[in-house]
Amino acid sequence: MDIFTVSLWGITGVAFIASLVKDKQKTFNSMKMAKGMIKNMVGQIIGILLLIGLILTFIPPEVIKSTLGESNTFISTIVSALAGSITLIPAFVAFPLVGSFVDAGASIVPAVAFLTTLTMVGVVTFPLEKQEFGLKFATTRNVLSFVFALIIALTMGVIM
Amino acid sequence: MIEIIKKNKLLAAVSLAYILLFIAMPEKAYLSVKNSMYYIIEMLEIMPVIFILTSIIEAWVPKEVIMNGFGEKAGIKGSIFSFLLGSFSAGPIYAAFPICKMLLKKGASIANVVIILSAWAVIKVPMLANEAKFLGAHFMGIRWILTVISILIMSYLMTVFVKKENIPVQEEQSLSKVTGIDIKKQYCIGCGLCEKLMPQHFKVVDKKAKCKESALNDTQINELKAIIDKCPVKAIDFK
Repeated sequence: MDIFTVSLWGITGVAFIASLVKDKQKTFNSMKMAKGMIKNMVGQIIGILLLIGLILTFIPPEVIKSTLGESNTFISTIVSALAGSITLIPAFVAFPLVGSFVDAGASIVPAVAFLTTLTMVGVVTFPLEKQEFGLKFATTRNVLSFVFALIIALTMGVIM
Repeated sequence: MIEIIKKNKLLAAVSLAYILLFIAMPEKAYLSVKNSMYYIIEMLEIMPVIFILTSIIEAWVPKEVIMNGFGEKAGIKGSIFSFLLGSFSAGPIYAAFPICKMLLKKGASIANVVIILSAWAVIKVPMLANEAKFLGAHFMGIRWILTVISILIMSYLMTVFVKKENIPVQEEQSLSKVTGIDIKKQYCIGCGLCEKLMPQHFKVVDKKAKCKESALNDTQINELKAIIDKCPVKAIDFK
């Protein structure tokens, strides 16, 4: 384990003990709720992790580098942002997937675009959003989120 | 069995691919497992942390206090409250819709609702830990800062384009006209709080709350009003 993970374990451990000492029942109750949430995702998590192995075996790093690499950032970023908008997987499982692509040589610009639109833009949940907040709100928010996802991605590319 | 496969389409498809691969090209299959192993181990290292963090936040962040706190308040304080509420909540973005709708009714501004929705979507605290694990703390930090700035600009732009009149509001029903209880199934998380508090009216079936039909008198309606406020995802309403 790297130092980052170790320190996270440390902080979380201390907070957990404090929480137990303060109110055991309350802590257990919310653990039950969190357990339900994680349980719903376990299938997807294992599926994605095993899929990563297949991708890394069958798609050579050179292909990832040439399609998602530095050379054609613009198109790959737009495509990644669109893919993120229509996909509905929890961000939780998206991080290892995106991480594996970046490890294999993908540029971070499309990676950021995908991660940001994945969570902020929701084509699948659009009808629900429209029903609650109206067409104008839902359209404007999703369009703005898409544009800003691209801006965040490009800025990250410049900074990092 | 079919139920399980239906619920885990991705896992089922990937497993099938692995089985075929083990038969056709065992050495490729072995390599794939080996490639996955690194990410599986990383995930196992971070999973318990995320689980415990989510639980602790759920237990101790006083979301009700935050929600009741900002009502009409605008300005910097309202924005900070909105960021906190979004960052310390669990669940996908659509789980935020009914809560934001309720806050709008209570007088929250459009800008703050946009902040809550966006923060809820992208900058949840346990997820930041996960992001830092797989993409690096540096990456996570910069993305976080850029996202916060973008959300602030976006919330301002939204108020330019969208006015409160554009948002559909249901008429606040007078309590004398209530005919029953409506549960929005798509938002219900089946937490069972309503059943626990009022077993005479609610029952959780297949992980969704169902209400038991019965004629309601004034006292019951008042009791139910409290439950409507208590529902953590605001999925219950009168009809």
